[in-house]
Amino acid sequence: MNRRNFLALTTALVALPHLALAQDRLTVVTSFSVLNDMVSQVGGDRIDVATLVDADEDAHMYQPTPADARSLSDANVVVVNGLGFEGWMDRLIEASGFAGSVIVAVDGIATRDMPEMEGHAGHDHGAFDPHGWQSLANARIYVANIAQGLSAADPAGAEVYAANADAYLAQIDATEAELQDLLAEVPQDRRTVVTSHDAFGYLGDAYGLTFLAPQGLSTESEASAADVATLITQIRAEDIAAVFLENVTDSRLVQQIAAETGATVGGTLYSDALSGPDGPAATYLEMMRHNVATLAAALKP
Amino acid sequence: MTHTSPKRSLLWATVALTGALTGALAMGAAAQENDQEDEVGLTHYRLFVGDHADNVVRAIELEDGADAGTFEIAQTPALTPSDSGRTLFAVQGDAGTVATIDTGIAFEDHGDHADISVTDAALLPATIDGTTPAHVIEGSGTIAIFDDGSGDVTLFSEGDLTTEGFAPATIPTGAAHHGLAAPMGDYLVVSVPAEDPEAPRVGLRVIDTAGNAVGEVVDCPGVHGQAQSARVFAFGCQDGIVLATPGAGAEPPVLEHISTTDLGEGNVSTLKGGKAMQFFLGNFGADAVVVIEPGSDDPFNVIPLPTRRVDFALDPAKAQNAYILTEDGQLHLLDVLKGEIIQSARVTAPYSMDGEWRDPRPRLAVAGDHIAITDPNAGLIRVISTATLEEERTIPVAGTPYTIVAVGGSGATD
Ligand SMILES: [Zn+2]
Repeated sequence: MNRRNFLALTTALVALPHLALAQDRLTVVTSFSVLNDMVSQVGGDRIDVATLVDADEDAHMYQPTPADARSLSDANVVVVNGLGFEGWMDRLIEASGFAGSVIVAVDGIATRDMPEMEGHAGHDHGAFDPHGWQSLANARIYVANIAQGLSAADPAGAEVYAANADAYLAQIDATEAELQDLLAEVPQDRRTVVTSHDAFGYLGDAYGLTFLAPQGLSTESEASAADVATLITQIRAEDIAAVFLENVTDSRLVQQIAAETGATVGGTLYSDALSGPDGPAATYLEMMRHNVATLAAALKP
Repeated sequence: MTHTSPKRSLLWATVALTGALTGALAMGAAAQENDQEDEVGLTHYRLFVGDHADNVVRAIELEDGADAGTFEIAQTPALTPSDSGRTLFAVQGDAGTVATIDTGIAFEDHGDHADISVTDAALLPATIDGTTPAHVIEGSGTIAIFDDGSGDVTLFSEGDLTTEGFAPATIPTGAAHHGLAAPMGDYLVVSVPAEDPEAPRVGLRVIDTAGNAVGEVVDCPGVHGQAQSARVFAFGCQDGIVLATPGAGAEPPVLEHISTTDLGEGNVSTLKGGKAMQFFLGNFGADAVVVIEPGSDDPFNVIPLPTRRVDFALDPAKAQNAYILTEDGQLHLLDVLKGEIIQSARVTAPYSMDGEWRDPRPRLAVAGDHIAITDPNAGLIRVISTATLEEERTIPVAGTPYTIVAVGGSGATD
């Protein structure tokens, strides 16, 4: 629980001479680590940014604290993903008396409907897939929303935010090319994999992969025995090659499915949180590279 | 689906009510404003009042005070609602039974919104029988009723109550004592009695669902009072509190004792757990309360009260608000984040805390923007505004209204 202190970011993508004075810096609170990185990239030296849900923590299950509410009450801007990902945020904002502006990062993406799995009756979580950051195309929209929102809250910084966003978008483009290369060698009949929860639908749509998961869109839902049995049957019938663990979920269920089906555990994917600074997914773009490289390594013949 | 889906716009309708999200509305949701009026949905709160003298529970609609049912039971009950609010447990220790009441109000969670359904309240055929059933504690989808007369715990899920031939499992925890059992995943945290069952309970330990002890007893002399907030349980002890945090994966919960001896005279024996934020509010002695923030370097914030406390309640929706009634008849609004009483108002005649703890005194329940307070001597429920602490109206109640539970909320209707 080290989310109490605001980190003065030293990211210096654009070192313009007229940097804002420290007391003018926007204070920004982000809901989770992926947004925290994106906002840091766009905000650069003009903002102080802190995240509520830390690296390797599960935002679906997060329970905010009074300290979180106090940090919100001191903030100018809050950045959330949206689409129900942070179900706890409305009440936290209300409790905090936060009076600044809210940036909803996911606004404007083409939303995916909830992927229905057979036997998923009784599943009761959101109708839209909130995990938009799992596609780089969506990340471009996230970045645009963040730049626009920061500029609205701090018009004097608009040029800086636009320049930082452009530089970051160029990195996203370069990463996109890398991901395409990584997946080029994966044959069409080895593109279905299993993870713990339905976090990778946008990644799958972007690169022609199919992700199956015993849990639904939220880690809050418990996988039913019927769901797991259906999934095991499907893994056997379709000869699915690999299953993957996630950094934010309990690995036991996926391990058990692997043991029962003989599928290989292909590694750990970073779904709803970055890794710590020394891990393989310390930034958003490292996370995307790590996930796709891990998938490609397990799926290549 | 597109952005104009009614379900998504319900989310925005809710968000707009916070009054703080103008930025969000400016960022693309403004186009959906037209949908909001259609999506206000239904708000319904129902009060359940245990009578101090007569063996009944009365159900009353908050909105208009209408009678929503009178349920005859064996004894003046302690009332505990389930986490969902669908079921009310009427604990009648001396009669050796717990009655169950279907509150008639149910929510179906759809992630970005909830549907509400309102039907008649009804006494369910399911009862939990024993020697002296007492504390009812729900955790991880399991309800545990501790029987002080046998030391046994009865375990079941809310759904079991309405299944044919309800026959819940009972496990022994040890000797009979005034105890408690808190379900946490595949484990229970239970109180451990002293050799002499009349002596104060000595501590807490983890057991598995077969009743086997897991790990050591953690000291918690006189353990009394517990609450859950965000999957963490807190228990009151004579010298501090014990926090029980879920273990990782299949690991048992971790128990940690935190001393309150540095806080001065007093101890925690009654606790409430925050719903939208992780914190606890406890009493600290008779005339102070303490805000407890697990995981903080400085977890305790003691707030003195002007006189002794009669009852207190947290606001499940406005997470920063707690309401405390003191024996001078004043209701206090505590800002949990600031740790300060920010408003006080006289709401009842004085009720002295001299005498027996179970003498008829007011109790509080929070129902949306209202605090419902039983006033046993006046034979009333007083409905108080959470915003102003002013009395909005009174609801006359037969007999001597005493214990009170509010269930309900807002939701969409299909
Ligand atoms: Zn997720």
